[in-house]
Amino acid sequence: MLLALPTLVLLAGLLAYPLGRMLVLSFQDMELRHLFSGSTPPWAGLDNYTEILTDGEFWAVVRRTTIFTVVSVAVSVVLGLAVALLMLRVNRPVRLAMVISMLFVWAIPQLVSAQIFKWMVDADFGVVNHVIDQIPGVDFANHSWFADPTQGWIVITTLVVWAGVPFLAITLHAGLTQVPRDLLEAATVDGASGWQALRSITLPILKPLVVIVTTLSVIWNFGLFTQVWVVRDSKPEQDYQTLATYAFTQAFGRNNYSLGAAISVITVLLMLGVMAFYIRQMFRIGDVD
Amino acid sequence: MTHQTLKEEPVKRRIAVAAGLAAALLGTAACGGSDSGDDSSAALDGKGKTLKVWLMVDAQSSWKEIVDDANARFTAATGASVSVEYQQWANHLTKLDATLAGNDVPDVIELGNTEMPKYVFSGAFGELDKATFDNSANWLKGLSGPCELDGKTYCVPYYAGARVLIYRTDLFDASGVKPPTSYSELTAAADTLKAKNGSNNKFAAFYMPGAYWYAAMSWVYAEGGQIAKKDGDKWVGTLAEPTAQAGLTKWADVVKKYSSGDITKDENDQAAIFAQGQAAMFYGNGWEAGAAQEQRKDPNDPNSELVATKVKGKVASAPLPGIPSFLGSSNLGVASKSKNQALAAEWIKTFTDTKAQEALLGKGVLPNATNLLDKAATVKGNEATALAAKSSWFVPMAEKWADVEKAGVLQQMLRDIVTGKRSVADATMWADTEIAKILNG
Repeated sequence: MLLALPTLVLLAGLLAYPLGRMLVLSFQDMELRHLFSGSTPPWAGLDNYTEILTDGEFWAVVRRTTIFTVVSVAVSVVLGLAVALLMLRVNRPVRLAMVISMLFVWAIPQLVSAQIFKWMVDADFGVVNHVIDQIPGVDFANHSWFADPTQGWIVITTLVVWAGVPFLAITLHAGLTQVPRDLLEAATVDGASGWQALRSITLPILKPLVVIVTTLSVIWNFGLFTQVWVVRDSKPEQDYQTLATYAFTQAFGRNNYSLGAAISVITVLLMLGVMAFYIRQMFRIGDVD
Repeated sequence: MTHQTLKEEPVKRRIAVAAGLAAALLGTAACGGSDSGDDSSAALDGKGKTLKVWLMVDAQSSWKEIVDDANARFTAATGASVSVEYQQWANHLTKLDATLAGNDVPDVIELGNTEMPKYVFSGAFGELDKATFDNSANWLKGLSGPCELDGKTYCVPYYAGARVLIYRTDLFDASGVKPPTSYSELTAAADTLKAKNGSNNKFAAFYMPGAYWYAAMSWVYAEGGQIAKKDGDKWVGTLAEPTAQAGLTKWADVVKKYSSGDITKDENDQAAIFAQGQAAMFYGNGWEAGAAQEQRKDPNDPNSELVATKVKGKVASAPLPGIPSFLGSSNLGVASKSKNQALAAEWIKTFTDTKAQEALLGKGVLPNATNLLDKAATVKGNEATALAAKSSWFVPMAEKWADVEKAGVLQQMLRDIVTGKRSVADATMWADTEIAKILNG
């Protein structure tokens, strides 16, 4: 216990204190003048929570964020697994090239890649429209990718998946190398197809890892902020608000700091379910060891 | 509402009055300026100090040499150096809030006049001695109004802008079109230009981005509508009223019929898009005619040379007929947390003195005082802006108006209209509810 004390103090300082402040803030009514003067905002009780929970706009944002998370995580994990399986099949130099290029993708800061995507799909100056426009009979000059939210979200999801696949592929590839060769060979001898071997041998062995990377992806993608923010020019429209941008817009755009804090608290509560799943899985793996 | 007419009317009247007064006033104002400057600078010693100034990006792209000149004069007088940081309109308030919460704050801050009341009310700015600033007795009311609270002055008007029709003279000539003097001539001109250049699918007879709310609201006011009004002590959104809806429908027709490009964009890119040579007209601030013709070689380096764009020398401006202009302006204040209050006030004094204001007139903007307005109308390239300012409108004078802008209510409504997601009636109903919620909140 004594040995763990420094860690606990550090965790309390870095996590518990700001979380506690946010909780208190969500029950107050803090405005710009309190921020500038440093004075204590008045107590508001549950007002912020009632306002949010009875607001249809908030529930639309929750729904949108959830759909985005489910779709983007599913696509990322399937693609990541596919790339990982491909890495097993190719020869060494190709595998090395794949790892290096994926590390580059991973190394690019989100802000930078989002900005580049924004330029690429720009209606007036973007390269994507220019290239599509070259196809005979297709008029894509000045096509707006964000007028229709479905198209806009496809662009944003592509960006998130593109940035997310490297981590998944490299992690899952590491897991795949741990699948015993002789098991797969035995299955082949017994006449199992590649698909059967994948479903009955590889995936069950890989499952704990898949669960962990999926949970992590859910946690990350649920908090989507940077990509939407940059791509929508730091003022996302209603159709592009996620929980994170919505809380930010309320708190820092409109200076309803307490409302923003309350939205964040609700987000944390929504995430707790997923977190519990993740932590349980972590302990399970610990038990096996 | 009464406040609004109070803010607007004097501007119009004073332009007329100023036109009659001419040089005599200008002469005295100029003398007063140099006197006050000499007096106070003698008492200020800023050696070794650096003043941090936040100006908006317009100063960087369109009149950087005026900033440099003011800095040089300020440094010569006080010994303090100046570090100017140029801010983007998109995120400057968020950045400002975070900065003002701390202790290392900019000394001088520029804000738009619609943003100012909220900050003055929240105690962000220190009090200033109004009488020490050049032409302060003649400040335009619409500009200085947001600076005043309880009889005290918290900021200084810097410049005003009115929006004008900016057009391509060569394309107009090629199609045999003349600058329009009525709204029907405008649409006729757009039709002719569109027919003449129909083979180019990127061509826009009138470039009008779909989230350009200053433009859309101008059409609303043209039809006699308004954004919101005060009913008793409550604000009511009035965009769903028939006049406002008529204006929005007319505006949306311009977007759908004559514009091209991304209809979800706002007006931030319009000068750059116009500079590509694919549009015949756009509706912009007076100085955007200059920004469309010359751009910095390296956009990230404000000191890089100006290079001519494709449309250099082929651009002129005129008042947009039948459409009143939003009278926007920028104000300068001294942060209440600044440790260099006197120096900061002195810098503002230098930067808004008659010399600097007269230099600004050449940039397609309007000066901060009535006695300089008639001069603005005689500067080449500025006639259109000065004329456009004669018929103007302003946003509802509500303390929380800045939050309506921040929440992007009007932009959302306009995008919904131009993309067809909502009808004009539905979109305006929604916007009225949101506006009332924010202004009364």
